Amino acid sequence: MIKNRLMLVLGLLVIASMVLGACQPATPATTEPTDTTSPTDTTSPTDTTAPTEEVVEAPRTTRKGGWLDQVTMTVVTADAAITQISAGAVDVYASNLSRPQDVIAADAAGLERSFQFGIYYEITYNPSGEFEGNTFPATGKLNPFASAAVREAMNWLIDRNYINQEIYGGNAVPKFFSLVSGFPEYAKYVETIRGLEARYQYDLERADAQISAEMEAMGAVKNADGLWTYNDEVVDLVFLIRSDSDGTRVPMGDYISNQLEAIGFTVTRQYGSSSELAPLWVSGNIDDGLWHLYTGAWGVGGVSRTDAGDFQFFYSPNSVYAFTTLWQGYTLSDEDLALYDDLANSAYSSLEERDAMMAAALESTFKYGYRTWVVDGRAFSPWQPNVSVAFDLAAGVDINPLWPHTLRFDDAEGGSLNWGTPDLFVDPANPVGGSNWTYDNQWQLATNDRGVMGNPHTGIPLPQRIERAEVVIAGELPVGATYDWVDLSFVDTIEVPADAWIDWNPETETFITVGEAYPDGLTAVRKSVSYYPAELFDITWHDGSSFDVADVVMAMIMTFATGMEGSPLYDEAQAGALDAFKGGFKGFKIVSESPLVVEFYTDVWFEDAELNVTTLWPAYGYGDAAWHVIAVANSAEINGELAYTADKAEASEVEWTNFIGGPSLEIMKTNLDELAAAGSVPFAATLGMYITPEEAAARYANLDAFYGQYGHFWVGTGPYILSQVFLVEKQAVLVNNPNYIDLSDKWAGFAAPKIAAVEVDGSARVTVGAEAIFDVFVTFEGAAYPADEIAGVKYILYNSAGEIVEVGEAAPVADGQYSVTLSGATTTSLGAGSNKLEIAVVAIPVSVPAFTTFEFVTE
Amino acid sequence: MSVEVQSQPSAEIAPKRRSAAMQSFMRVAKYTVLKVFMLMITVAVGVYLTILIANMGGYVDQILKGEIRDRIAQGLNRDPQFKAMLPEQRAEYVANEVALEEQRLGLNRPFALRSIAYLTNALQMELGRAQNMSSDSGSRQVRLIILERLAPTLLLMGFSNMFLFFGSIGIALGLSRKYGSIWDKLIVAMSPTSSAPPWFYGVFFILIFAAIFRVLPFGGMIDAPPPTNQVDYALSVIKHLILPSSAIIISAMFISIYNWRTFFLIYSSEDYVDMAKAKGLSDRDVESRYILRPTLPTIITNFGLLVITLWTGAIITETVFQWPGLGRTAYRAIGLYDTPVIVGLTIIYAYLLALTVFLLDIIYAIVDPRVKIGG
Repeated sequence: MIKNRLMLVLGLLVIASMVLGACQPATPATTEPTDTTSPTDTTSPTDTTAPTEEVVEAPRTTRKGGWLDQVTMTVVTADAAITQISAGAVDVYASNLSRPQDVIAADAAGLERSFQFGIYYEITYNPSGEFEGNTFPATGKLNPFASAAVREAMNWLIDRNYINQEIYGGNAVPKFFSLVSGFPEYAKYVETIRGLEARYQYDLERADAQISAEMEAMGAVKNADGLWTYNDEVVDLVFLIRSDSDGTRVPMGDYISNQLEAIGFTVTRQYGSSSELAPLWVSGNIDDGLWHLYTGAWGVGGVSRTDAGDFQFFYSPNSVYAFTTLWQGYTLSDEDLALYDDLANSAYSSLEERDAMMAAALESTFKYGYRTWVVDGRAFSPWQPNVSVAFDLAAGVDINPLWPHTLRFDDAEGGSLNWGTPDLFVDPANPVGGSNWTYDNQWQLATNDRGVMGNPHTGIPLPQRIERAEVVIAGELPVGATYDWVDLSFVDTIEVPADAWIDWNPETETFITVGEAYPDGLTAVRKSVSYYPAELFDITWHDGSSFDVADVVMAMIMTFATGMEGSPLYDEAQAGALDAFKGGFKGFKIVSESPLVVEFYTDVWFEDAELNVTTLWPAYGYGDAAWHVIAVANSAEINGELAYTADKAEASEVEWTNFIGGPSLEIMKTNLDELAAAGSVPFAATLGMYITPEEAAARYANLDAFYGQYGHFWVGTGPYILSQVFLVEKQAVLVNNPNYIDLSDKWAGFAAPKIAAVEVDGSARVTVGAEAIFDVFVTFEGAAYPADEIAGVKYILYNSAGEIVEVGEAAPVADGQYSVTLSGATTTSLGAGSNKLEIAVVAIPVSVPAFTTFEFVTE
Repeated sequence: MSVEVQSQPSAEIAPKRRSAAMQSFMRVAKYTVLKVFMLMITVAVGVYLTILIANMGGYVDQILKGEIRDRIAQGLNRDPQFKAMLPEQRAEYVANEVALEEQRLGLNRPFALRSIAYLTNALQMELGRAQNMSSDSGSRQVRLIILERLAPTLLLMGFSNMFLFFGSIGIALGLSRKYGSIWDKLIVAMSPTSSAPPWFYGVFFILIFAAIFRVLPFGGMIDAPPPTNQVDYALSVIKHLILPSSAIIISAMFISIYNWRTFFLIYSSEDYVDMAKAKGLSDRDVESRYILRPTLPTIITNFGLLVITLWTGAIITETVFQWPGLGRTAYRAIGLYDTPVIVGLTIIYAYLLALTVFLLDIIYAIVDPRVKIGG
């Protein structure tokens, strides 16, 4: 009997322990970061020219390629990332984490981490019925969000600070516009932004008052229960709340639902994933009245130099989302429609004009209120304390092209590092139309190179394989240069040379010249000239082949050949992209082969001169490739055995070309053998000018040996070689490329973004009518921020009512020191009360502005 | 199942043997044809229901159409080349791209027609090509998508479940002879722990053995970086197999032993077992002749069904341990609404199940003389 009781007690204890274990706080799963991407036009004017290279203090090295001997990429779930790094199982988790508990765990474990602007969140409204009775045509039910006034009042109804603190643990940034607070546009228009932010601060009573007035005007009344009714029916709002992604939209949607319920609405919360809700808000008809609000989110792919296209993208029926009834339901005034289009198309002739247009557009968005912006989310990637790596302020670590050049163990050369990622080898890898997943892009970045390298802290390109460039602009367009590696000039017109190549003849396999296509001549808006160094041809591909002009020309041929009917490589899926490319393209010309000098003509221009530099490099849409590797894949495609894109593979019922595994390898090997046996030179009528049969034979032999050694065809020129691929086990092993042309420390200066710290010092009590002086100190890691790296120090003065009284520039005093002087007239205008002085510092080395405020009393 | 339990077989008269054999053959043949026909109908109905459910009766078309438009618009917006396009040109471009993608996925054909095509292809084992998924080696052939994950799945599920099955039976047999012992009571007391799924134990095991003691890996199938020789590779796989298989085994071990032990206890208390014991037969003889023998049909049935469940993998456990198995493939296919992959997995399972059911009928007749096929 005693034994039985003992067993019973033991059993109960086991069950109790399991129940207690299961009752721990839930940790929502983190899925893929986003399904959406923001407009990413990449321009911005600036008239400050700075040295090209940032200050590099790191000791020189003789090592070439990456800092590490080996990088092993392996799959790690986001939930386990911090634990695995803490346990030493992986050294870096390259993807984004954003949950507040992850931040706490990473800091508690003493891990290093990046910080980047990842996703930004908003509430999208269904405006069906606007100007047409405010009811849904299909149901006749009232749609409160058909009213612009109701939509505008949502800004007061939503407490963004509460959402930031309660849902994002204070790691997000409250947001009132589409402009991301860490990007240059935000700092540029900070005075306009701050004024509007002050106007639309959380005010529940004001929201209730404006919404109530508008509801009554639309014919709604509150019933005895305090609920809004229309035609004796309770007004029920259907709120589409995304339950996937990072999981934060559920509590956000719940909070906003509670707020709406607090002012008399009933809310039906419809939770669902992206795919479950897309049929309603993307492809559904808004007039059906199946939803009222949606928790939207958008992502950033890199530091955006301009967001001028946001207004068209998010608010205009001319958006790329014009195919949806939602966007077609956006009704703008003719002036604003033109304003948004002009901003998107850069239809302005001066910076002053652009500034005025941006300010007007920013204000107008509240008038329409088709969406309410909530917060800029911020994400991070963690790594071991003894590791360092450069990260992009928007894209983080994994898709930052600088990671292969900067990832290392601190103060050490060599070593083997384990890299965690949520997934690998999602789709076949081929440079022309292969996997576009970021998980595959990250290992490809290590094997690739590029003409220019995007600065991860500013978004402005810096020269990588080119030496310098010239940019010539036709007319008076607001284009400016930041760095001195670009020589910017303006002319009245740019004539495209008659011998420049502008099109491709798939039958003769030769380029068509501008002279042939446009006998009367052709002009362009922009010309860029890229000068490559003499050492360019010292570069070797991973299979040992020497870099050649033919590699560059092959890439240009493929741009045309895959999208042109009549070409044996024609792919319907590529035709549209080619049309888009040809829309602005006006020709290119190889001026000199050694050293390589290339001219590029186009009508597309950007406000940053550096972004107007178009380099030619054997980079395809999804990776780099040498001409002979492309020749092999082309041969397989022409033979009907493989296809570069999923669409063509599906249509042809053949395998999707995969350079690193699967049935493609054997097919490619067979084609390689055939090409080698025939001594084939692809597109001989054109590439024959650059390739001799002997060179072709040598290249095929190199590729054959490479395939024999590594078992794949992914041949790049980058700092790492793809050494081993474990497709089912999901591991990629990258080894250092000792033949890489650059020393490992070339990009050492980008290990940490140089974000300024700002402090203000001054008297806390100021006499009305007396002059007041405040000192501003700008530092980075305790040292004064050099004055030549500061683009501007703005001050914004607020009175006791929170209204902006004055905006101005602080006067430079010394490196890292500025002064703000408020005149007697200004302090008089403040009157007696508590005031606030806000300082905004815009530094050249980083896009993220630094803000601080100083409060003082006038008496 | 059409089986008949008869009393002891009686001796037949010699001249009638040929006729009886012929009758038996005809009976078995008729039974076989009918059984196969019925099973095929069942498989067809089951697979078609799967197609309907996986496509939400056709609503998935709407989902996919929405996703296609969203994806294309975003791609367009990212590309600065499209900056030079006028709004109407962009709209035309989007329309063309959408049409191409819808054609690729077959969305330009009514779902009813596609569903019939899915079914007929599946029944003929023409697994076809996936819509959105690629195999690990990058192929869109459903056959390869499944085959590449089959080996890791069978390794994990096969090892774990075989260990669980035979281990449980062995221990249960022993316990059935020691009813009321301390071990028997311990198993009974621990059996409620099987209410927790394998992944639940998996999380704890990872925490204890990977995060705290750091003696076993967090997950995956091999070390990073991978071993360079075959022996080390195999040892690495075994090391990675320990935690997930332990989680599967521990989660079901006690309840499994409890079930079998109860089952064997029932047979152990039969009169003929007592008689055998009274005759002085050894425990081993009693177990093998008087307990195991009559329970064989049940054991075989369980084993047969176990073998085909290995095929399905373990979705959450594989996810927790990052094990590249078929469970995760199925989960991903469902998430991507990739009907060909879902149908491919289902039809293979359905055929295996049908085959198992058919074979079990025959095996019953072999192991149990009381059972007569088609009688």
